Amino acid sequence: MSADDLPRATFAAGRPTDVIPAASESLWRMAWRQLRQNRLAMVCLVILCVYTGTWFYAEGVYWTAKIRGVIPNYKISHYEIRNEPPSRAHLLGTNFAGRDNLQQLVQGTRIAFEIGLLTSVIVIPLGFVLGALAGYFGRKLDSAIVYLYSVVASVPDILLIMSIAYVTRSAVDRSPAMQSVTRYIDSGLLAICVGMGFTGWVGLCRIIRGEYLKHRERQYVLAARALGASHGSIMFRHIAPNVAHLIIINFSLRFPNLILAEVVLSYLGIGIANEPSWGTIINDAKQRLWLGNWWELGGATIAMFFLVLALNIFGDALRDALDPKLRTAEAKTG
Amino acid sequence: MTAYIIRRLLSVIPITIGVMFITFFVFRVVGGNPAYRIAGKNATATRIAQISHERGYDKPLFLNFRQFPRHLLDAQFPQVCWKLVHFDFGESVITKQHVSTMLLEGAGPSLCVTTPLFAIELTLGIALALLAAYYRGGWIDRGLVLLSVMGMSVSSLVYIMLAQYWLASQWRLFPVWGFESPRYLILPVLVGVIAGVGAEVRFYRTVVLDEMYQEYVRTARAKGVSSRAILFRHVLRNALIPILTNVIIAIPFLYTGALLLENFFGIPGLGRLTVMALFNFDDDVVFATTFIGSILFVLFNALTDIAYTWADPRIRIK
Amino acid sequence: MLPRQVLANYAGRIILVAFLVANSPVVLAAEHAKSVLYGIGGDFKGFDPVDCGDVESAAQVSRVYEGLLEYAYLERPYRAIPRLAESLPAISSDGLTYMFRIKRGIHFIDDPCFPSGKGRELTAEDFVYSFKRIINPKLESQGDWIFINHVLGAEEWAKRISESKSPADYSEPLPGFQALDRYTLQIRLRRPYPQLLWVLTMPYAFAVPHEAVEHYGDQFRRHPVGTGPFRLKSWWPNYRIEYERNPTFSGQTYPDKGAPGDRAAGLLDDAGKPLPLLGGIVEYDIREFYTVWQMFLAGRIYASAISKDYFEKVITPDLGLSPELRKRGVRLYKTPELSTYYIGFNMRDSVIGQSANSVINERHRKLRQAFATAIDVKRFVEVIFNNRYMPANSPIPPGVAGHTDNPYPYEYSLERAKQLIAEAGYPDGRDSEGHPLRLSMIMPGSGSTDARQEADFYEEALRAIGVNLVVQQLSFAEYIRREHDGETQVFWAGWVIDYPDAQNFLQLFYGPNQCPGVNSTNYQNPEFDRLYERIVSMTDSPERTALYEQMVDLTTKDCVWALIAYPLAYGLFQPWFQNYKPHAFPYANAKYYKVLPH
Repeated sequence: MSADDLPRATFAAGRPTDVIPAASESLWRMAWRQLRQNRLAMVCLVILCVYTGTWFYAEGVYWTAKIRGVIPNYKISHYEIRNEPPSRAHLLGTNFAGRDNLQQLVQGTRIAFEIGLLTSVIVIPLGFVLGALAGYFGRKLDSAIVYLYSVVASVPDILLIMSIAYVTRSAVDRSPAMQSVTRYIDSGLLAICVGMGFTGWVGLCRIIRGEYLKHRERQYVLAARALGASHGSIMFRHIAPNVAHLIIINFSLRFPNLILAEVVLSYLGIGIANEPSWGTIINDAKQRLWLGNWWELGGATIAMFFLVLALNIFGDALRDALDPKLRTAEAKTG
Repeated sequence: MTAYIIRRLLSVIPITIGVMFITFFVFRVVGGNPAYRIAGKNATATRIAQISHERGYDKPLFLNFRQFPRHLLDAQFPQVCWKLVHFDFGESVITKQHVSTMLLEGAGPSLCVTTPLFAIELTLGIALALLAAYYRGGWIDRGLVLLSVMGMSVSSLVYIMLAQYWLASQWRLFPVWGFESPRYLILPVLVGVIAGVGAEVRFYRTVVLDEMYQEYVRTARAKGVSSRAILFRHVLRNALIPILTNVIIAIPFLYTGALLLENFFGIPGLGRLTVMALFNFDDDVVFATTFIGSILFVLFNALTDIAYTWADPRIRIK
Repeated sequence: MLPRQVLANYAGRIILVAFLVANSPVVLAAEHAKSVLYGIGGDFKGFDPVDCGDVESAAQVSRVYEGLLEYAYLERPYRAIPRLAESLPAISSDGLTYMFRIKRGIHFIDDPCFPSGKGRELTAEDFVYSFKRIINPKLESQGDWIFINHVLGAEEWAKRISESKSPADYSEPLPGFQALDRYTLQIRLRRPYPQLLWVLTMPYAFAVPHEAVEHYGDQFRRHPVGTGPFRLKSWWPNYRIEYERNPTFSGQTYPDKGAPGDRAAGLLDDAGKPLPLLGGIVEYDIREFYTVWQMFLAGRIYASAISKDYFEKVITPDLGLSPELRKRGVRLYKTPELSTYYIGFNMRDSVIGQSANSVINERHRKLRQAFATAIDVKRFVEVIFNNRYMPANSPIPPGVAGHTDNPYPYEYSLERAKQLIAEAGYPDGRDSEGHPLRLSMIMPGSGSTDARQEADFYEEALRAIGVNLVVQQLSFAEYIRREHDGETQVFWAGWVIDYPDAQNFLQLFYGPNQCPGVNSTNYQNPEFDRLYERIVSMTDSPERTALYEQMVDLTTKDCVWALIAYPLAYGLFQPWFQNYKPHAFPYANAKYYKVLPH
């Protein structure tokens, strides 16, 4: 075991919960039963479903316009009705360009989910594969990976995110391939997702590595090895299902933080430029708060609040249900 | 044990080199020649070439293979590292000040905000966590957990904006902006505590509860020890280890300051300095702050592990 | 806050939309009895005239240092008047030799750097020394352009310094700068340079004593030793600067001549009083505009620029002050800024730039014209800037000789834009393969709400003719680098004039100035270059103005820039703050300001 990760892994290993892993299906079923009894968690699940519905709707609006080659409604300016207060036609008023604030928030939901998703596309494979390799093979490979993530963890996130965003932007202007990508994804969104992805995998990698360290000594792994299973097969067929729930837990705890981080990144000017994200809405609204224009800031804050709250509570409940012993380690890295 | 400590402390070196490598890569390779920024908008090509030469920006980036092996290290990256190791931080392109002076002047104000903020957040966090754990499952516990999660679900930017607008500007309870007397620190610290305490409560409650489900607690309860005594005498003592870890790990961040608070409330600290430097591609300042930051971070991480090993006999080193 | 920090670069002059601190200082309340408190907007480089390439440093340096000439405060059009010189210089008939008589009895402030501790008298040698510092390549000044290539022997001198290993030796003679006696300074030029009088008002050309530079070494920028109206009391970088009146400052009184209307405005009430009128100045460094406005509302700010989002509340539709603020006695100032916002096209670009092939060249020109015609500037100015800006019709802003009232040939017309883009080979904005034409534009101000709203507007305008314009908002450093490298296709830009001579604008089109020079569009036109070489050495005359107009026509025909607007600066001032008159070059104006008890 490398020195760096010693305390956490040993701490977890020191617990009496070191049991033979249950067959994965029943683990999920047991977790679901426990979750169902948690009323608060179920309420949050409903809230999450509502948000997910909103997200699908927003994607629908976005893609319909894209395919038809027209400008989506939420992007059309009506300068004659700028900064209007809430009314029957516009429940949350209109913004600087006379666009409906509610529609902006709905699109903001889309952006929030896209951030969570796109970032995870980078974080999960990177964190999982590196963590698995490090934990399973140990020795030199482990030292190398632990070194890599120690370095990444020691570079200020903002520096990495900013520079990755910078590279992405330059690439968009230079390469035709990137241009075709940004035909579908906002280049600012892509930039911060890549940035947050390459800074965010460390937490997951640590946890997965710790688990693989434990599992590789287990009976079922030793048996598989005796039967001549290949390393790849043991890593990804035998062990992976037993640690897969950690990915979900990691995701549900990381997602709300990504949403909050986007607001700060927008404030710093590294963010989404051409689509309405909650961060940009909040930053724009701050200038008009003084005019008694509370609905813009309030709307975005509330939209964000319920999603983050539901994710936080549901994530906690999910973690408790799936893997109670993880709490300490997770709270620290998440 | 001694060998372990030495090994652990020595790990600072390769990690810091790695961090500097990434930072250097970002700023010199991606960011382009700093001579442009120095020369200004009216610069001619010859002027830029001249500045590049004067400052060594025209040397190879990482290693000088052209003059192998005698001048192998006559390249930009080794020279940047060499200077940093000597604590020669250079000069800011943007403000033309010595970076070391800038860091020294910025550290004070940053600490003035972050230290009380951290102390209050910690005490309040632990106190509330103990309260919640003591009444675990009851309405106090649930209420506290819900409140802290709710507090975590609002962007810190919103807290700052609302506090500054209502508490300072409208109701005039606090100064809006400035760094004149301790009175000016109240609002930023308050906002920081409100924005941050939720996460602390949630974390420490988990830590305490983790301890409470241990064998020895069950044994103690079976022996008839009062639940208050269990909480304060046994559980808290054992929970001190993860608490201590969390505290030590947070210390390097005191130095980096709180960017948003500094910006809105006018604290001339390091958080603002660092981000300004990042945006202006002010190489020397960024190199210095990441260098110091990463050393502190890795060092305190190592300290945590050492403290852990020392405090908890269950942990052995293989 | 930084994305919104004022990006006006005094020598570089790229400006960001939002608001300009240069013209409308953010003035804070006086907690300290007689002091006016300002907000600082940018990164201050310290008190060294060599490094005052930005608005902020220029303003601070001008509080403590002075030059041979300065602008008349109240008079319009702008005029250079003597400050440390006794009078305007005697100029030889060939325009190559300038003789300045230095005022007698001007002293630097008392400072330990002088042998006796007493301030030494200013002499012509101080100017020779200070001017040499500007062109000393080791000091990396951004202002060397004011002398290099103009002053006799300047390049040779700089080259010698840059080649030698030892620090610059200022005793090495430079034929262009000579002190003929204690009070006579002679400047000799390589060719006529009528702008010399203007550049000598710039803080770059201010006088510093060599004793201070030698005594303080690299701490010199923290210890200003000047002749100016104020002296530094304390400086806390990134937070606060405090000045007090310079007790040895003398010989200058409040002007008794002004422009029409100044007397009625009370600007001449203090005529004849000794300057400075303020006892001191305290300035705070506030980056976050939200905070600035909070302090204004809390009653601590007595002057502020107006963000466009507050505009409707503060300014009535007829551009007057709202009743609430008028009741508080707040006054509103607006003035043209002598700057132009435009969208530049990179002439080296293969889609939109110039080409040797005349057919292609013509098509690309049509494309640029279509771009310009597609932007409804009137509407843009109305909805994005509340009519604060004036639509531009010439690269040269009004108030500068060379500006004409000729209508802009690419005024908005959707039909015409569609016709032009079809003629350019993109019917309905589509190329031969049927894909919409994609153009990429950069602008500074990432994170700025204003920049985002502007970008939105441009994208929408181009979409109307079928073009897919992608606007990227970059951080200022990134933007500057891209512009320097010529790594652009279309770029947003602004130019604030350095001195009231249109040559300052026309140099942006001069072929030899192309990237990384100031000609960021890389425009090449032999006819224009020929005319430019003629006008640089001409003094102000109707003939020169006619040539200016001719040159502007050339650039307009080629549509090098899509012109946007001339900004107007709006500022709010509290009643106790007096003697403020908007000025395009306000750096040294603090000495005229006055504060009433409040």
